[in-house]
Amino acid sequence: MRDTENMEAEMEYDDGEEPSFSDPEDFVDDSDQELLEDVLRDKPQEADGIDSVVVVDNVPQVGPERLEKLKNVIQKIFSKFGKITNEFYPDADGKTKGYIFLEYSAPSHAHEAVKNADGYKLDKQHTFRVNLFTDFDKYMSICDEWEAPEKQPFKDFGNLRHWLEDPDCRDQYSVIYDSGERTGIFANDVKEPIEIEERARWTETYVRWSPKGTYLATFHQRGIALWGGEKFKQIQRFSHQGVQLIDFSPCERYVVTFSPLMDTKDDPQAIIIWDVLTGHKKRGFHCESSAHWPIFKWSPDGKFFARMTLDTLSIYETPSMGLLDKKSLKINGIKDFSWSPGDNIIAFWVPEDKDIPARVTLMQLPSRNEIRVRNLFNVVDCKLHWQKNGDYLCVKVDRTPKGTQGVVTNFEIFRMREKQVPVDVVEMKESIIAFAWEPNGSKFAVLHGEAPRINVSFYHVKNNGKIDLIKMFDKQQANSIFWSPQGQFLVLAGLRSMNGALAFVDTSDCTMMNIAEHYMASDVEWDPTGRYVVTSVSWWSHKVDNAFWLWTFQGRLLQKTNKERFCQLLWRPRPPSLLTQEQIKLIKKDLKKYSKIFEQKDRLSQSKASKELVDKRRSMMEEYRKYRERAVDMYNEQRPLRLELRGGVNTDELDSNVDDWEEETIEFFINEEIIPIGDLQRWSQRHGKCMAVQCILTRTRSCQFLSRYYATLLRTHI
Amino acid sequence: MRPILLQGHERSITQIKYNREGDLLFSVAKDPVANAWYSVNGERLGTYNGHTGAVWCVDVDWDTKNVLTGSADNSCRLWDCETGKQLALLETSSAVRTCGFDFSGNIIMFSTDKQMGYQCFLNYFDLRDPQQIEDNQPYLSVPCNESKITSAVWGPLGEFVIAGHENGEINQYSAKSGEILKAAKEHTKQINDIQTSVDLTMLISASKDCTAKMFDSTNLEHIKTFKTERPVNSAAISSNMDHVVMGGGQEAMEVTTTSTRIGKFEARFFHAAYEEEFGRVKGHFGPINCVAFHPDGKRLVPAFVFL
Repeated sequence: MRDTENMEAEMEYDDGEEPSFSDPEDFVDDSDQELLEDVLRDKPQEADGIDSVVVVDNVPQVGPERLEKLKNVIQKIFSKFGKITNEFYPDADGKTKGYIFLEYSAPSHAHEAVKNADGYKLDKQHTFRVNLFTDFDKYMSICDEWEAPEKQPFKDFGNLRHWLEDPDCRDQYSVIYDSGERTGIFANDVKEPIEIEERARWTETYVRWSPKGTYLATFHQRGIALWGGEKFKQIQRFSHQGVQLIDFSPCERYVVTFSPLMDTKDDPQAIIIWDVLTGHKKRGFHCESSAHWPIFKWSPDGKFFARMTLDTLSIYETPSMGLLDKKSLKINGIKDFSWSPGDNIIAFWVPEDKDIPARVTLMQLPSRNEIRVRNLFNVVDCKLHWQKNGDYLCVKVDRTPKGTQGVVTNFEIFRMREKQVPVDVVEMKESIIAFAWEPNGSKFAVLHGEAPRINVSFYHVKNNGKIDLIKMFDKQQANSIFWSPQGQFLVLAGLRSMNGALAFVDTSDCTMMNIAEHYMASDVEWDPTGRYVVTSVSWWSHKVDNAFWLWTFQGRLLQKTNKERFCQLLWRPRPPSLLTQEQIKLIKKDLKKYSKIFEQKDRLSQSKASKELVDKRRSMMEEYRKYRERAVDMYNEQRPLRLELRGGVNTDELDSNVDDWEEETIEFFINEEIIPIGDLQRWSQRHGKCMAVQCILTRTRSCQFLSRYYATLLRTHI
Repeated sequence: MRPILLQGHERSITQIKYNREGDLLFSVAKDPVANAWYSVNGERLGTYNGHTGAVWCVDVDWDTKNVLTGSADNSCRLWDCETGKQLALLETSSAVRTCGFDFSGNIIMFSTDKQMGYQCFLNYFDLRDPQQIEDNQPYLSVPCNESKITSAVWGPLGEFVIAGHENGEINQYSAKSGEILKAAKEHTKQINDIQTSVDLTMLISASKDCTAKMFDSTNLEHIKTFKTERPVNSAAISSNMDHVVMGGGQEAMEVTTTSTRIGKFEARFFHAAYEEEFGRVKGHFGPINCVAFHPDGKRLVPAFVFL
């Protein structure tokens, strides 16, 4: 084929006709692309530089005489963000129009200008509005008429508080095991955990419950998923690439997510606040400093959230997500802050600065009234500890008083419920290992001292402000305090390096109810009702014996659950009770009436359980017996084969060939006693009969075995 | 119950076995000497000297005439039980991991390790044919390419060998053709030990995956599972009761990562039908390497690492 083609071409040439050198019609000239690639790349484009242009509105309108001055001012403000290569002041009737165009040398400078100069107050009348020129198209295309958003269909997820309707009031917990591969939700039961849901790869790292237990949050490379309802269906998703940390608002309405990836200058994405109900992104924030999580702290009602940066405290309000009163608080040197868990009060502290003493301030919000300021001297560090109801605040102050060596610790106890917020001081001589308030009460526990001499002290804050030491236990093996969520009871735990020593304490009379150990325990988790407590050894901290143990609040061990590579157990929180204080009181009064019902119920379930166990065992035994019968039948059938293989000797039973057996006596050494001759008589009366003689039947089959037994050494003593 | 302490090895025990009547006990260890004991009083009857490396396995035939040992010195040796005379020396190219006499005592099998470029082989010799021993030529040699054999016992009537592998598989290898008759993959980690019941109808496998499992030896049907929190090194079935005993513990190199109180592993008794633990025997100061029941079911021998 090829040959003939060439032939044809040659023939055409031979005809003497000149070949055509013009391009065919569909030819596209791409030689420039090939030859001048590097030059073409720099060829100016129509839209080049348009990214670097910003439009500034609300610029003062001036006549030519003052234009120069205005230009100077503009230059001064806007050259901060980059070199301005071009400027344009449109004018009409001899006056500028009130908006100007500025071109920067690079788009990044323009972005910077928009970010920082937008909202700049030049004077009272003129607040700059700065926008990218490219954004104008976007704003132009916005329709003038408001369109009502389409009504979203209502998605029914069922009763999100389904678990609270459990007739036996079982609490639930999530368990991650198999090194994170599997996650399960279990209902706690005294007998054994009841599996509610179990999924493989439900989360990629860990899980979190929302503060009222409605949602379970799972972590994925692409974002967060929320699950809930009876069957743990997916309720919401928040797409946040590389998300690592989350935090719910106390009202469960908002969730804050953090990802170290994806943050860009113009579009803050490091921290995003989402609306849980709609799934919409409410606002993004940058994360410049490596602060402690949670970076945003929520007020207890979820109305406000606050963040601390250098010398400033920014308080935002919901649902607008804007700064409260449009501005942050300037607090020079602010070190730490925290919300009261009971009221919209912020406590923050500022260290000493030359002659100004360190101070702790309590501020009411949104009024920003400072309700209490406490000055402190020679402060090294402060820690803020709120009691769970917000009744008390303890500021742990480490001080180096003048003229003394070393650090002393004071507890400054603020009584929030009293007028003027009185403060009392407890001075501690030893170093503090742990501090914890009783959640619903006025006691606190302190671990102090140096290992191995660690003491625990219990204090009671009285109404008159007197702070009594109720009890001190010395030489405790503990490094953490875990109060029951209902107060009164607590667990002192020596986690990890202290081998998992546990002490269960009742603080009403300060007795140690039980002392136990869960070796290498890494976590202690109270259930939300304070009835049970779980200790666990997480695979994340220790690679063997990963398990969780369930204890009663009194320290009686109920269950040991070994899970292969168990990682984490989290109790599902309960929302606050709907009962009023009076109703709760009434129930407490009639406790005897109720306890009778429950005791009966317990007995019933116990007898049912034991019956179930008996049935289960019976069926297992039955099955096993059947199997054995079959096996024995077969075994008996094979008897002739066995006899054949062993030359006719029946070896099925040890005593098959009793005729061949021979009685033989072997004595052997049991005991040795040395007795003075004089005592011998008495001894023989007592011990004479104890000489052990054991008869052993052995079969002798041939001579070779006989010799074996004769060789037995007979040993007698005394 | 009175424990008898037998002290005759300088290094940790690898395997122990009773003879059929239960009057003698044979033990081998990581030292090169095999020992024979009177089970009734713990007195040493004698030793079998000749190996030059750790001895991994021992077996005795049904009439207690011959003893078979396999060693890391790349040999499997046949001994006269009574005199301690070495009857045969079968040299191999890698360590001998398991060995055993069949029901009749006429056929022996042993398996070699996958080691130094050599494959794992399961070899069968017929003792009635002296030529095989003389030439060191097994009548059947089965290569096991996938995962090496870590434990093996003879099935009933000498028809096949039941072998446990490093990957947790259990296979039946025919003694005639060498083909795999039945297979079971119930364990997830290495099989450390396989022992049969006295009547050979059942077997129990002890695995590193912290469980022991009971199987029917003929059809390899999985019957029961016994769970613990430690790797199980050895398990045995009682002959007169529906009981199972298990011994195990952390490997010596891992012991330091756990508490001295919980790193060790007591001999633990389970009920065969209920799969529930009902008792423990304490008193070991290291992991248990091997357990064996006396054929009358009344005595138990656990052996453990000497630290």
